[in-house]
Amino acid sequence: MDGFIAFITADTLKVIWSGLKVTLLITAAGLLLGTLLAALLCAASRSKIIVLRVAEKAFSVVVRGTPVLMLLLLLFYVVFARTGMSAIMVAIIGFGLNTAAHVSEIMKSALMAVDAGQVKAARTLGFSAWQAFWYVTFPQAVAFALPMYRNATINLLQWTSVVGYVTISDLTRVINQLGARSAKPFYSLFLGIVIYLFVGYMIHLIFKLTERKGGRVR
Amino acid sequence: MIRVENLSKSFGKLTVLRDVSLHIKKGECVAIIGPSGTGKSVFLSCLNGLMTPDCGKIFIDGDDICDRHTNINKVRSKMGMVYQAFHLFSHLTVMENITLAPRKLLRLSAAEAQTKAEKLLDMVALREKANAMPGELSGGQQQRIAIARAMAMDPQIVLFDEPTSALDPTMVGEVLAAIRTFADKGVTMLIVTHEMEFAREVASRVLYMDENGIYEDGTPEQIFDNPQKPKTKAFIGKLKTLRYEIASKNFDFLQLYTRISLFCQKYRITPKSSHSMQLCTEEAVFYLLNNDLASRIELSLEYSDKNGTVTLSLDYDGPPGNPFDCEEDLGLILLRAKSSQIEYTNDEKGNHLKVNLQTGEK
Repeated sequence: MDGFIAFITADTLKVIWSGLKVTLLITAAGLLLGTLLAALLCAASRSKIIVLRVAEKAFSVVVRGTPVLMLLLLLFYVVFARTGMSAIMVAIIGFGLNTAAHVSEIMKSALMAVDAGQVKAARTLGFSAWQAFWYVTFPQAVAFALPMYRNATINLLQWTSVVGYVTISDLTRVINQLGARSAKPFYSLFLGIVIYLFVGYMIHLIFKLTERKGGRVR
Repeated sequence: MIRVENLSKSFGKLTVLRDVSLHIKKGECVAIIGPSGTGKSVFLSCLNGLMTPDCGKIFIDGDDICDRHTNINKVRSKMGMVYQAFHLFSHLTVMENITLAPRKLLRLSAAEAQTKAEKLLDMVALREKANAMPGELSGGQQQRIAIARAMAMDPQIVLFDEPTSALDPTMVGEVLAAIRTFADKGVTMLIVTHEMEFAREVASRVLYMDENGIYEDGTPEQIFDNPQKPKTKAFIGKLKTLRYEIASKNFDFLQLYTRISLFCQKYRITPKSSHSMQLCTEEAVFYLLNNDLASRIELSLEYSDKNGTVTLSLDYDGPPGNPFDCEEDLGLILLRAKSSQIEYTNDEKGNHLKVNLQTGEK
């Protein structure tokens, strides 16, 4: 115990905090980008234009079937190699694409779960297609999607731990370095795990609050 | 109010409606009856623009709804629709279900919409459920809310697509009562229904649909008591007749009893009479089968409105001879006591036995 307390110095915490900030940034920005892209993908999958539907399907199959690390390496060493884009930016794009593919599936299934008859009922009351979507389909789809979206977010947080491969000093990488440098890998890894658990739990809590507020379907 | 001219609609090779024309005046309450698959629901869907007809014109209050320049949403807001499966908005409370459209489309304030909704909830007797979620209500209650929701838009026309078909028999009455409340308010109504008694009582006009269109059109008395065309006659006739074929001694008699009891329920025959009807049928059938007087029986029960009697007819093979001439069987004594008239005939097709049973209703 004394050893552990001695391990936690102001310098250690500073380093960990810098790593955690990077992890949170990639997670949050990746989630935001991913969700926006997912909405576009979802719209494409319901589009009348065949090319859009095929493109969406292809993207979804390829991205979901590839380990996110492979995608990340591809983007970093090939696609954006000559652009001089920062590694963090590349990671955000990579995780954004990966999240988009997963979240668009969640959105699609949530939209499908909404009773088409209710939309028909809204239309016959005189609502336009957009109004029916906004007042009837959307709130219900959100309520269906939230639990799955919460899991996707927590998964994303954990998957970002591989960004060390593309030179980014995120939480996992600084924890690993601290362990190596101090020759106390147990202390540092233990601390790292606790931090991941804590952040994951916070995400869980935030979602739970929203779900309770918005998810009173049935 | 509603004018339909030469409407046709087909799905691929299947023609559902052919050259249908109809004029419905303001305030009419029209019941649409007919066998399944004759285009009743498709017709309603065309009327509110959920389906586009292949050709023909539909005018709702003067607006041609097949015209691309017509604002269909505007037309629809004057026309309510109630579905078989209710389709309440499951994420909203009962109150919000009713107030949503008036607030967003008629621009009522929250307070105005609420006052109106409370009035409607009173009419369908569900005021105390205002804050419930649709999932917490029974089917009959959900359907009554759906009716209130449609009425909240002050529609000039309301279309009902089999409003009681998805309900348990115990809940049909409450929904019909709710519809009746609004029928008295002078709203134009079109009701696709299988509830013939209800159609007769509420409708001012009945359309019988068959052969891809409106086959017969008339007042309830004309259609139900004195149908003119053969298919209407057959349809109306079949409603009042229960047929059952018995092919062996080991037939499914429980199924027969259930059919009889449902048949009696339909004509509001008291449980006591219904029970005695089951008993009489049982005695007659088993007497014939057990004494090897018959091996196949075609049984029919026919309800007559005029005097409230039910005629039990048995057509069967086997040796000729009136079973009631034979020795005294306990079952036959009972049957004789319950019936007002027994008639036996025999021809080349076999034996025919007709027993008039009193229901004690009229």
